[in-house]
Amino acid sequence: MAIPYYPGCTLSTRGRGYDASGRAVAKALGLELQELQDWNCCGATFPLSMDNLLAMAGPARVLAGARAQGERVATLCAICYNVLKRTNHFLQGDAEKRERINHFIEAQYAGDLRVQHFLEVLRDELGFQALRQRVEEAREATGRSLEGLKVAPYYGCLLLRPQKELQLDDAEDPHILEDLLQALGCQPVDFSHRVECCGSYLLVTSAELAADMSFGVLQSAARSAADLLVTACPLCQYNLDYRQAEMARQHPGFQPLPVLYFTQLMGLALGLDATDWGWELHHVDPRPVLTEHGYGQVFGVRRSEFGGGPQRTPNSEP
Amino acid sequence: MSYTAEMRESIKKVEATRPRRMEETHRRLTLEEQQDLLRRFHPDYLREGMRELRVGPNAGDRTPNEFADLLEARSRVDPRTFDLSRVDYDTDVLVIGGGGAGASAALLAQEQGVRVLLATKLRFGDANTMMAQGGIQAADRPEDSPAIHYLDVIGGGHFTNIPELVEALVMDAPEVIRWLESLGCMFDKLPDGTMVEAHGGGTSRKRMHSARDYTGAEIMRTLRDEVRSRPDIQVLEFAPAIELVLDDKGQAAGAILMNLETGDRLLVRAKTVVLATGGSGRLHYQGFPTTNHYGATGDGVVIAYRAGARLAFMDTMQYHPTGAAYPEQILGLLVTEKVRGLGAQVVNVDGEQFVYPLETRDVEAAAFIRECKERGKGVITPTGQPGVWLDSPMIEWLKGPGTVEKALPAMVRQFKRFGIDIAKEPMLVYPTLHYQNGGVLLQTDGSTTVPNLFAAGEISGGVHGRNRLMGNSLLEITVFGRRAGRAAALKAKEVKPGRLTLEHVLAWERQLAEAGLNPQIVSPLLLPEYTRHVR
Amino acid sequence: MTEELVPVFIMGKRYDVPSSLTIMKAMEYAGYQLVRGVGCRGGFCGACATVYRLQGDDTLYFGLACQTVVQPNMYLTQIPFFPAQRAEYDISTLQPRPERLFSLYPELLRCLGCGTCTKACPQELDVKGYMAAAMRGDIARVADLSFDCIMCGLCAARCPVGEAQYNIAILCRRLYGRYLAPRSQHLEDRLAEIRAGQFNQALEELKSLSLDELKARYKARQIEPE
Repeated sequence: MAIPYYPGCTLSTRGRGYDASGRAVAKALGLELQELQDWNCCGATFPLSMDNLLAMAGPARVLAGARAQGERVATLCAICYNVLKRTNHFLQGDAEKRERINHFIEAQYAGDLRVQHFLEVLRDELGFQALRQRVEEAREATGRSLEGLKVAPYYGCLLLRPQKELQLDDAEDPHILEDLLQALGCQPVDFSHRVECCGSYLLVTSAELAADMSFGVLQSAARSAADLLVTACPLCQYNLDYRQAEMARQHPGFQPLPVLYFTQLMGLALGLDATDWGWELHHVDPRPVLTEHGYGQVFGVRRSEFGGGPQRTPNSEP
Repeated sequence: MSYTAEMRESIKKVEATRPRRMEETHRRLTLEEQQDLLRRFHPDYLREGMRELRVGPNAGDRTPNEFADLLEARSRVDPRTFDLSRVDYDTDVLVIGGGGAGASAALLAQEQGVRVLLATKLRFGDANTMMAQGGIQAADRPEDSPAIHYLDVIGGGHFTNIPELVEALVMDAPEVIRWLESLGCMFDKLPDGTMVEAHGGGTSRKRMHSARDYTGAEIMRTLRDEVRSRPDIQVLEFAPAIELVLDDKGQAAGAILMNLETGDRLLVRAKTVVLATGGSGRLHYQGFPTTNHYGATGDGVVIAYRAGARLAFMDTMQYHPTGAAYPEQILGLLVTEKVRGLGAQVVNVDGEQFVYPLETRDVEAAAFIRECKERGKGVITPTGQPGVWLDSPMIEWLKGPGTVEKALPAMVRQFKRFGIDIAKEPMLVYPTLHYQNGGVLLQTDGSTTVPNLFAAGEISGGVHGRNRLMGNSLLEITVFGRRAGRAAALKAKEVKPGRLTLEHVLAWERQLAEAGLNPQIVSPLLLPEYTRHVR
Repeated sequence: MTEELVPVFIMGKRYDVPSSLTIMKAMEYAGYQLVRGVGCRGGFCGACATVYRLQGDDTLYFGLACQTVVQPNMYLTQIPFFPAQRAEYDISTLQPRPERLFSLYPELLRCLGCGTCTKACPQELDVKGYMAAAMRGDIARVADLSFDCIMCGLCAARCPVGEAQYNIAILCRRLYGRYLAPRSQHLEDRLAEIRAGQFNQALEELKSLSLDELKARYKARQIEPE
């Protein structure tokens, strides 16, 4: 089954490990992610002022273009998912403004595209039971498994909220990532900050505040004895992973926590070749915690080391 | 717009003969036949179109009437009253002209660690360089060599070229391609890096490098961006030079510029000067339309001549065989030679070939004129303009559907604006004034007969002799732009400047008077006069 | 042949001009001697960017004055110059990486994808499309999509967030040409041969030939087949 896929800009640059692992995982599961032709940036933030129609022209064009190529579009990036789905919701609910935007972007989009996150496809179409089956097969073939690995499922904000519009899961008490992790054979840990904000774009305007928020998330996961943390959002990944170098300096005794995309962990569980999954863009090395599960050697890291990590000077070029 | 009913009738004949012609190659002319054709039909041989110069270093030499008028005109500057003590700009190397040659010269001069001022009449980059579509020659394939390139150039110039200049041209060519690439020019290549190279008129090897059909634009915009990236190069736009300034040792030592918008004069003092003002198609010799950009009025040749520079080959102009003859809105605009390079034949009103499509440009042009004027086999447009067909749809047959769109996007766009699809319909073409073969006599380092005055590009004379081959102008501007820029900078480091003077302008006035001339016009022309005024 | 005259409004003033003229020739017919807003007159240089409206039509149209034929009741003005941001860089020390593009042109990431630039492009380029490619760091695609850009600046003039699309595009083309395009081995080989002096003797010999000998050589050239 081919699924029309919107990668988004970040997954073409800093988040390319998410994109590569996501495509590889999907392919292995018989769900090929087929990149849309001629797509543009989603806008990266859903315009908060409702009269800002111009800012919706970009995502609206993505939706119109995707509709011309099929009936649905899937994303991996939680931000793109949020913006596209909310824009779609807005366009569905306001025929007059939809027409104004249609006129501007020279399209005839009726608001009838289905915007999905890849997690939804896994849950609702493949099914986690089927996934578990595939993971079992991989385990038999490779002799490796993630059994016993304690993973913190981190949702953040944009994947779930606003719940009324996104309807992916319960915004306050979600379980889709937990269910996924169980299918992978890991042990999901409960932690207080799993639906708290990572600091998001505050990184740009108020780096200190953002750092505090990221620190809170990591501390919460650490208190639950997580071995690593997974996310579905490239900005969460960046904030939580990259900032750890500074946290280690500021907070003596800070224990670094690797931050992976859920698709990377899925790929490992499915026994796929993980060589080109953007490991050089990660700062905290996940190998120590994965070595005991037999995955230490599957990281074909091109550069000799990971991109920095708390114990080293972080890569200066974001 | 598209074609008239009469033209469509003729196109039907072109289409009818096309399948047969796909198998046919027209015979090439012998050297003797070429000479005969040129003598009888090439505009350079029309006696009433030219006259002898009466003053200056080339007195006695022939040049088109329109150019002679400007060469023998008065200065725009009054040398008695112009205040040379107030200097507006002080620089080491003054480059006059913002086309490909000027930009190349500025870059190489700057690399020698000197201050550079580039002054240009219109916008930086408004130049014939920008319009060159077809390509740039360089012998860089194993089947080719600089020696073969040399032979092609010299034969194409009817063995009149200055050998040392041709040697410099062909030997520097591969290095120039590498240099342009290092600046970021995107040449057409195969996936393995092999350059896509084609024939041009008069070449014996495929050595035409291209950047789709925006080759000149690609080179110009890249050079311009590089100049703008270097803070040591100052650029003055809309500031044409209206007179050179010498010093009391007879060396070039600056120029007087004119702010084209305010009319103010600006004095630039420089240690050396590079003239790169391009050609003169906008003088419309013998009433021909032109492919040239708006500013191609021969300004640099005029001021160099008044400063005592010797000219060469000023009696030969290049008429590009394939100027657009229809529609009227684009009359005279260039239809790139690449169209013929890709395999399009030239046919008459009956759809028959009458000349090998890749003869040298002068021969090809003369053949078109003969077909229309002597044999009456041209197609006549509603305005009375004759033309012959350039059978571009053949390219789709020869190289596969879509080739025209991919290889000739600029041409496709040009004609599409007027409802003509050149992948399906032929283009009507007729010779158009394209290039000034001659100009300021050059040495291999770009120096001229005036000390500290250098020149490069279409303004110069000697490289191409009496006829230039396609793809050697983009090569010339870069090869000699670089050479002139480097030499001018090296010279600037050692020159001992004297006192500024306009004595040569006074001397010029005396020479005019001695020759009994009392010209009423001033030169350089700066802008062509196209405005219509009712009263 | 008497030509039909049509009214056009140049910067608000009415002139009656022959209907077959381009905007540029119509302005000259009306008596303007152009200094700005004129360049190659052949559609390559981007100097004559023009904005116009037609009476009774709410659409804003864009074109090159040298390539666009006048229409009755055309209201036009030229945009021969538009101030636009241009980054400072030295191409020889850049890296062809998305991060460099974003750091030189941070405003790139402000692009809304609204497509106003595409509507304004007189070359009918997919400006919005190459900006989208730039935002995801696909330098090669920007270079390809923007190749026919004449840098007239109409995209920048119309952009609601102040992008200078054409300057971003030329940076990408230069990065592509210098760093990303495949290398030409045959060119490197030839340069090495020239440096080694391999052709010097042949050139000396050619220069020393008499006119007749040279002509004979020229006639005897083997022409490489198509």
